[in-house]
Amino acid sequence: MKALALAVTAALTSLALGLPSGAAAQERTVKIAGMGAKSGVVRSFGVNSEAAMLAAADEINKAGGVKLGDGTRGKMVVEFFDDRCTAEEGISVTRRIASADFLVIVGPTCSNVAEPQFGILQKKVGDASDSGLQMPIFTDVAIKGGLAKISEWAFRNVPSEATMYSSLFNYVRTEYPDVKTVYGGVEEDFAHSRATWYAVMKDRANANGFKVLGESKWLLNDTNFATQVREIKKANPDAIAISAHPFTTCGVLKEMQRQGVKPKVLIGLSSSSSLETLEGCAKQAEGMIIPTSFAPVNPKAIAAAKATAKFKGNADLHSMAAWENMFILKGVMESEKVLAKPDSLQADRRKIRDGLAKLKTTDGLLGTTKREDREAEKPYVFVRAKNGQWSVYHNPL
Amino acid sequence: MLDLLQAVLDGVLFGATYALIGIGFTLVFGVMNKLNLAYAAASIGGAYCGLLVMGYATSAAPAWAVFLAAFLAGGVLGYLVYLTCFHFIPLASPLATLMATVGMLLLIDEIIVHATDGMPKAYPAMFDDEMLRMGEFTLRGDLLLVFTVSVVCMVGLLALLYRTRLGLATRAVSEQPVAAQLCGIRVTRVNAATFVITGLLGGIAGAMIGASVGTLSPLLTTPLTVKGLIVTVIGGLGSIPGAIVAGLLVGGFENLFQQYRGVTERDLYVMLLLFVFLVFRPGGIFSPRGGRD
Repeated sequence: MKALALAVTAALTSLALGLPSGAAAQERTVKIAGMGAKSGVVRSFGVNSEAAMLAAADEINKAGGVKLGDGTRGKMVVEFFDDRCTAEEGISVTRRIASADFLVIVGPTCSNVAEPQFGILQKKVGDASDSGLQMPIFTDVAIKGGLAKISEWAFRNVPSEATMYSSLFNYVRTEYPDVKTVYGGVEEDFAHSRATWYAVMKDRANANGFKVLGESKWLLNDTNFATQVREIKKANPDAIAISAHPFTTCGVLKEMQRQGVKPKVLIGLSSSSSLETLEGCAKQAEGMIIPTSFAPVNPKAIAAAKATAKFKGNADLHSMAAWENMFILKGVMESEKVLAKPDSLQADRRKIRDGLAKLKTTDGLLGTTKREDREAEKPYVFVRAKNGQWSVYHNPL
Repeated sequence: MLDLLQAVLDGVLFGATYALIGIGFTLVFGVMNKLNLAYAAASIGGAYCGLLVMGYATSAAPAWAVFLAAFLAGGVLGYLVYLTCFHFIPLASPLATLMATVGMLLLIDEIIVHATDGMPKAYPAMFDDEMLRMGEFTLRGDLLLVFTVSVVCMVGLLALLYRTRLGLATRAVSEQPVAAQLCGIRVTRVNAATFVITGLLGGIAGAMIGASVGTLSPLLTTPLTVKGLIVTVIGGLGSIPGAIVAGLLVGGFENLFQQYRGVTERDLYVMLLLFVFLVFRPGGIFSPRGGRD
């Protein structure tokens, strides 16, 4: 009786003093920062990535959260920052996140943000002479080739466009033997589309035996494509590859329709396999083939897309990479015994970096992703615009 | 040579969209001696509102109904721009109204971005598939419509300015606001009416631009604002026929430069053209004659 009275007294005293109860003391938060464009014309990318991250965190937390190094459970908390798809804002946001108690960054959206952002990170881990930020960044969207090599703190879970387009042109060569020539259309002032045409599509088309007849160029803000499409028409190519984002892709496709340009094969940029293209020009995009690292083709992918939709986001190759990143990070935090305590912040960041660097494969929504040099080699499918929707056209794997 | 001529012809026709924006800029400047930098954004906003009101994406309303809704929405937006950027702000300070319209431009742009998540929206067109063939040359039917609408708007505006009491009052306020007030003209009402009229015109401009591009996107607002200003300066600040001629001229030159120097240098030469005008003919093509003031 005396012992019970003592216990009750102790409990009441701890309550009165505001001390946390056992369960509350055990629950810690694992703070993850998302960053991407949530304003400007690429806002949808940020909105979708944020929704996917929140949905994944919700799922992880419902399943008990993250098991931390000292045996306690940590609840994943996501805070998303808008970088406006500009380098200066991206760097400012990164510095702000690094000065707070976030363990890792997932993002950014734009390659023109990722490039300078990775540049402010420490180049080589453990280099005491390098005062760069020591903050792990796990990119979901910025897709321009080879960016992770900038810093050993930078990791990416974006598809390899070189692999995807190599496979696509190989498929076109096999399936359309009468297609011999390719003409390119490139959005000249956007890092991703420019790099993808010159370093990937053009190169892969040549490597697969196609004759590249030339390329027409336009800018992201352009509205009149008559001259460019006339150039394409004059070249009379069998296939047209458009490396541009949805707004100008739609403008070019509409002008092609006006001028009666009908190639045997129409290829698009990976980022255009989204709802945006269908909202803008579903009719004109009909038949366009695009390689992508996400399509709702299995129960896991369908469930992820549904969960993201609950948080008002669309599932596409970019947002679903953010979803995958959250689960990969959970696994890394558990295997590396992250503590998520205020005094272990820098050590935890280093553990996450080292854990990510160790990964040779990760589980993705379409299958296993191979990892090398902090970059991903993701499984992919070819989708085709059909009846106002993207449907799986071919699964090369 | 044929390619070059065709490119210039394409550009001249597309320049009709710049002309429509230029008319709005020039009308406000002509009446109030102020620049409304939110004009192009409000025009595109009007087109978006038209699309929203008619629910085109779901019910496939006819193109003319969407255009009409854009026309009316443009008028409402024009009045709102007047209230927020001019009515409550001291007109004596030119910088205050200018900066207010810059703020409004950004605000409208961001509202569109947030409402649509920046996604392009398909916009209905009229005569989109019609191509007028003249030997080796082709002319886009929808751009001919835009050109016709620009000319009709110009004629309508000139008739309004020179054949109606409102036009007389507008010209009076434009030339001598104090004297006009002394004659019993309500200056604020005339200014508001000018904004509603330019707003209605902006709604048409937004609809025509949406129709000629085939898609609406927030990406349209900034380039159109820049092109509209260039057209207004080259045409002559305050000159409606000047805006039309300059719009077609800028469109034609744009494609000419693109053909010769490529897309990345194109805008550089358009800016150079503006510079040439500012140096050698600062009043623009139709520079107004110097008055007593």
